[in-house]
Amino acid sequence: MKILKLNGERKTLSQSEINEFFNSIKLKFTKTTFEFDTVKINVQPKNWVEAHEILKNEFKLNFFNWLSAVDWDNEVAVGDPPKEQVTPMFEIMSCLSQTDSNNLVIISTNISKEIPDIESLTPVYRGADWHEREAYEMFGINFLNHPNLKKLYLPDGYEGNPLLKSFELISREVKPWPGDVDVEAMPEDKVATEEEK
Amino acid sequence: MATTMDPNNLPFLSEASVSVEIETEDMTLNIGPQHPSTHGVLRLVAKVNGEKIYNVEPVLGYMHRGYEKLAEVRTYPQVTTLVNRIDWVSGFANEIPFIAGAEKLMEIEVPERAQYIRLILTEMARISSHFVFNGAFPLEIGALTPLFLAMEDRERVLDLLESVTGGRFHPNFNRIGGVKPAAGAGPTTKKDIQDLPAGFYHDTKIAMEKVLEAVERFENLIGGNEVFKARTKNVGILTKEVAEEFGVSGPILRASGVPFDLRKYSDYLPYDNFDFDIPIGQNGDCYDRWYVRTAEMRESAKIILQAIDSMPSGPIQSKVPKVIKVPKGQTYVRAENPKGEMGYYIISEGGLGPYRLKIRTASFSNISILPVMLEGALLPDLIAIMGSLDFVLGDVDR
Repeated sequence: MKILKLNGERKTLSQSEINEFFNSIKLKFTKTTFEFDTVKINVQPKNWVEAHEILKNEFKLNFFNWLSAVDWDNEVAVGDPPKEQVTPMFEIMSCLSQTDSNNLVIISTNISKEIPDIESLTPVYRGADWHEREAYEMFGINFLNHPNLKKLYLPDGYEGNPLLKSFELISREVKPWPGDVDVEAMPEDKVATEEEK
Repeated sequence: MATTMDPNNLPFLSEASVSVEIETEDMTLNIGPQHPSTHGVLRLVAKVNGEKIYNVEPVLGYMHRGYEKLAEVRTYPQVTTLVNRIDWVSGFANEIPFIAGAEKLMEIEVPERAQYIRLILTEMARISSHFVFNGAFPLEIGALTPLFLAMEDRERVLDLLESVTGGRFHPNFNRIGGVKPAAGAGPTTKKDIQDLPAGFYHDTKIAMEKVLEAVERFENLIGGNEVFKARTKNVGILTKEVAEEFGVSGPILRASGVPFDLRKYSDYLPYDNFDFDIPIGQNGDCYDRWYVRTAEMRESAKIILQAIDSMPSGPIQSKVPKVIKVPKGQTYVRAENPKGEMGYYIISEGGLGPYRLKIRTASFSNISILPVMLEGALLPDLIAIMGSLDFVLGDVDR
């Protein structure tokens, strides 16, 4: 077979190359962090599309990885609430990377829950289409200028946005989780119960 | 007496021609959700004119199980059971990026032997996934034989997976900080104590030789078949620019000529200790996508044979607290799965379970190019193009 080109060399980035990439991004976007091997940029909602254009054209991050959102809230219907107080908001995240190195960037922006509007990324990356439809149905975020903003997974008549923290998991209400018995109480919880006694 | 006719001198046939253009009406054709080629339940609404497709809209959600929500009410060790079922053809490979992400947040060093066991089993999952592809793809475009051969060959690999993990498809074998002691393990020799079953090295060597034989057989049986070539060569060409814009990854991206494989670029498992190649296609058509996957099986077998020979000894589990509590932090860890890039964005707020878990799956992005690829394609090519993308609906809908 001649269609094959075999590539045996290894291409992991060295620590200096990783730092160089992070510093070049930090020059352009001031609110950039580098924790647990993940570069994360925070931008204003009004610069959301512009930031992606810069990252695509100047930093050659042309691989659209994913887009999603986080519902930050102190009161949750299921799961554990955040340990520290957070400002209730939606954090929209997208992930861009390259196909000739391991460079990867998470871009995030915070929008209010009252007006959950954000410009669509589909003019910059066509691949954002389905990801934005998923975030639309799961969180109720409006992507302005999206060509086909309708539900992706859920049936047409479905009400509610399942990934909101206020959305209850009905199966847990109907039947308690049997796995609960396996989890021991945390050390501080034990201390608390002893104090109550 | 019947008159014999000279075929070169037929009276009227040379003058006959069709001058009428056949006008066909547009038609909406519903494909699925129970079509066998959809690997689950995918529904396509295609608008066709004659045999030509000019618009396709995939309808998803028939297998949506809401894993991102379910992960929020589970503890970290419980989530691995869940993620096994995302891409059930290669269940073991799904656990790796999640476990690696949790370990990164907890700053746990994994013993080398545990990493080698993970690596061997991940590559076995890759081989088993590509065997399914090598059976299913020819079946969809009309060849029945490779399916039976592929299923028989895959069974050897699944037997090995089962002997170690106890499960054929959903192993749930990874633990934070290492792997669980193997099923049926006992003290066999001085070298392997309580982790791998007796005779594992020997059985693996034999099975990998069989895999290498099977790859060669598939290359001749499928790749050398004229009908298969006619159905797949220059069909469904995907350029690398479109692939990158839609986030298409894995063998499909490499078939379009992009030499990107996270096993070479990232260090989630010690792949740099082994000598292996990345197969790359040239045209980005269905044939190249088949070839890249088949050639990858040979490379995976090579990796496993090298890992067996250089297996380090030592513990398989590092010391972790009895109650797994991940400190506050956010990280994204991705891995090269058989179907493409799979990654988990873990947001931990210091609780027993993740505050939010974003699951990035390969098949979701991979089939989002279906409307682009199928525009202007012929209806018979639809099945060939869909088959060559090698998706699993559990991986699409999550």
